[in-house]
Amino acid sequence: MQLKLNNFTKTFGEVTVIDGMDLTVNDGEMMALLGPSGCGKSTTLFTICGIHRMNGGDLHFGDRDVTHLPSQQRNVGVVFQNYALYPHMDIRDNIAFPLKVQKQDSATIKRKVNEIAELVHIPELLDRKPAQLSGGQQQRVALARALVRQPDVLLLDEPLANLDAKLRLEMRSEIRRIQLETGITAILVTHDQVEAMSMCDRIALMRDGKIEQLSEPSEMYNNPANTFVAGFLGNPPISFVNAQVAGGSFTFGDNTVAIAEALKPRVGGEVQLGIRPEHFGPQFGTGVTGKISFVETQGREDLYNVTLNSGGMIRSIQPAGERLKMGDAVSWGVSPEAVLAFDTSGDRL
Amino acid sequence: MPRTSKPRFNWLGLGFMAPALIVVALFFLAPVIMTGLFAFTNMSTSTGITGGEYLLTQSNLRALENSGVSDETFETLSTTSYRVDEAGLARLAEQHNQATADEFRTLHGDTVFTARRDMERALKDLNQNRIRSTRDRKAAAELFTSSVLDERFVEETDFRAALANAGINDADHEILVTEAFTGWVWTTENVELLTSLSSSARYAMNTAIYVIFTLAFNVGFGLLLAISTFYLSPRVASSFRTIWFLPRVLPPVLYVLMWYWLTWDTGIISTFAGYFGFAPRNWMLDTATNAWVVIILINGFVGASLGMILFSSAIKAIPSSMLYASEVDGANRWQQVRYIILPQLRWPILFTSSYQTLSLLTSFEYILLATDGGPGGTTEVWALAAYHTALNNYGGNLQYGLGAAYALVLVIIGIITSLLYLRFFNFRELVSKPRIEN
Repeated sequence: MQLKLNNFTKTFGEVTVIDGMDLTVNDGEMMALLGPSGCGKSTTLFTICGIHRMNGGDLHFGDRDVTHLPSQQRNVGVVFQNYALYPHMDIRDNIAFPLKVQKQDSATIKRKVNEIAELVHIPELLDRKPAQLSGGQQQRVALARALVRQPDVLLLDEPLANLDAKLRLEMRSEIRRIQLETGITAILVTHDQVEAMSMCDRIALMRDGKIEQLSEPSEMYNNPANTFVAGFLGNPPISFVNAQVAGGSFTFGDNTVAIAEALKPRVGGEVQLGIRPEHFGPQFGTGVTGKISFVETQGREDLYNVTLNSGGMIRSIQPAGERLKMGDAVSWGVSPEAVLAFDTSGDRL
Repeated sequence: MPRTSKPRFNWLGLGFMAPALIVVALFFLAPVIMTGLFAFTNMSTSTGITGGEYLLTQSNLRALENSGVSDETFETLSTTSYRVDEAGLARLAEQHNQATADEFRTLHGDTVFTARRDMERALKDLNQNRIRSTRDRKAAAELFTSSVLDERFVEETDFRAALANAGINDADHEILVTEAFTGWVWTTENVELLTSLSSSARYAMNTAIYVIFTLAFNVGFGLLLAISTFYLSPRVASSFRTIWFLPRVLPPVLYVLMWYWLTWDTGIISTFAGYFGFAPRNWMLDTATNAWVVIILINGFVGASLGMILFSSAIKAIPSSMLYASEVDGANRWQQVRYIILPQLRWPILFTSSYQTLSLLTSFEYILLATDGGPGGTTEVWALAAYHTALNNYGGNLQYGLGAAYALVLVIIGIITSLLYLRFFNFRELVSKPRIEN
């Protein structure tokens, strides 16, 4: 079911957290609300499920206007960061709770609980208490409880934040699998760009209550709208250097980087260059000189920080092998097609 | 961090514990031990709490009927006789002169007069040293009384000597000594009295009514207040809680005085009901039902405020995400209370109930101030009975021993139930980290 948020405004007391935000999540799509803490992504999620009330704008699930409905009548499923399982009920009762409060008959409840338990792979846990479950298992129970009454929208609030690294990887694909199997419209709130990119169809990257960019993960990575988006996505992160446009190339200090043909008409004067670590290295020729100021071995790859002779620093990631040492002087090249150019206020050129 | 495997005895720790230990010893152990000891004595106003003397009175004799004391002894004890012995003669010599005493010895030495008249005549008929004045003769005769009745003896040996002197059969001495002792003695008769008195059963019944109804009101009303204030805005909720807390912070005497104003026949209820043609009546003491309702309300409003505070904080300890979750799961307010809040208050409710059971069992101050057990003893609870018996009764003879026996029953019940509660609540689990995740 399509979810449409129109001109949404939310204030807490004097503070306006979100001002006139528009967001459309298509039917069956999984949308990530990504951003640093305090950007308003959780507020948006809690408003969609009705825990917070909107101060302006409207919200539609499909054709249904739910703007003024309390959360009980919105038909949303929510997975909370701490799962919020009911500690005094066993797993079966936890999952059955949304059906029980609708006073469905016990045979139906039992059937639906068993079905959903199969879906999230926990049929053997139904008689346990939440405290007897691992984080990943609790996560599955929370998903089952959110999905059991076939909500119009599934909302996930940092669902992986409380899991260890290995479980996080596992649950990432599990949540995506379940979302695809049920075909439910879902919104995932996260501050982790990897989660957002790996799980979602589209990402809405938020800052200070505004959506900075809304696009598919690869598009957002390769084609960021501004320096904030470029800097938020990618690990290790992108490096920025200030440069001048002179004679068909970018220059900064004694370094030069060629300007791609497509970019030439759009740039001039002072620019900010964004160079991702995988686009800087010896395989791209020479032209940028500096000293290696930091080496980090990541197993399959090595990460180098190169401090330029002219000041500033560019990160580079390369297949493991050559193993340079700190202090080594290098002269590496940058892939001209991959250079991202921004104007001085940070917008993409 | 010093790594020591064996536990060390720490004097500093003991030093820090000492005040607590002293307080426990002074205000808990000592009263319990004293109650236990007093319960097995017949201490009362008449015996005092120090030692006693030996004094036989007419009422003692009445109490001794049918106790196996021989008739002769009764006869001897109840008639005053006059024995002319050395002690009496010495007293006579002191009051009159040696010559009179000597002559009296010669004439009547070792004689026993059973009638005062004979004794006086003997004194009158002295040849050389006749005592002329009747008044003097009466006084002189008194010097020779050998009755043990109404005589105070400080030492037991003196009393026994007097009994022997009066010619009382040796077999009856023991029982007379016991009866004549005016101090307190060890006895188990309090326990027998408690179990045999019909009033004990009634006090127990009253206590059960008092505890059960007050507790139900406390917990029920406390829950109602806690849950209703939980759903109010924080500002309104806190002023509401403050108002409901007033009965607890008000001095009990003032608080009960306000109930007087409310319930007495010239009070608020009667005045108000008067406008509708009802005759004024005392809503506190008119009937037993009135008295119980008022007592349960008086105690209930005080207890409910404690429950309210405990339950309120317990509700606040429920993670908000859990309440949000229940809302998005579709639960309305009532279902949220029924399925999410109440089950999680299980421990606070149980704890409050058991704690308040204990304190209600032993509390009587509001009853004392309000009805003082009335009307006609219908609201006399066990603890109040103990107080009345031992410390404040209408008759004026305060029976410390019996009162202590009443109190001892409460002490025993209290200790047993505390131990049961500790086991039931599994104290270690209570003090461990709560299971609720935040």
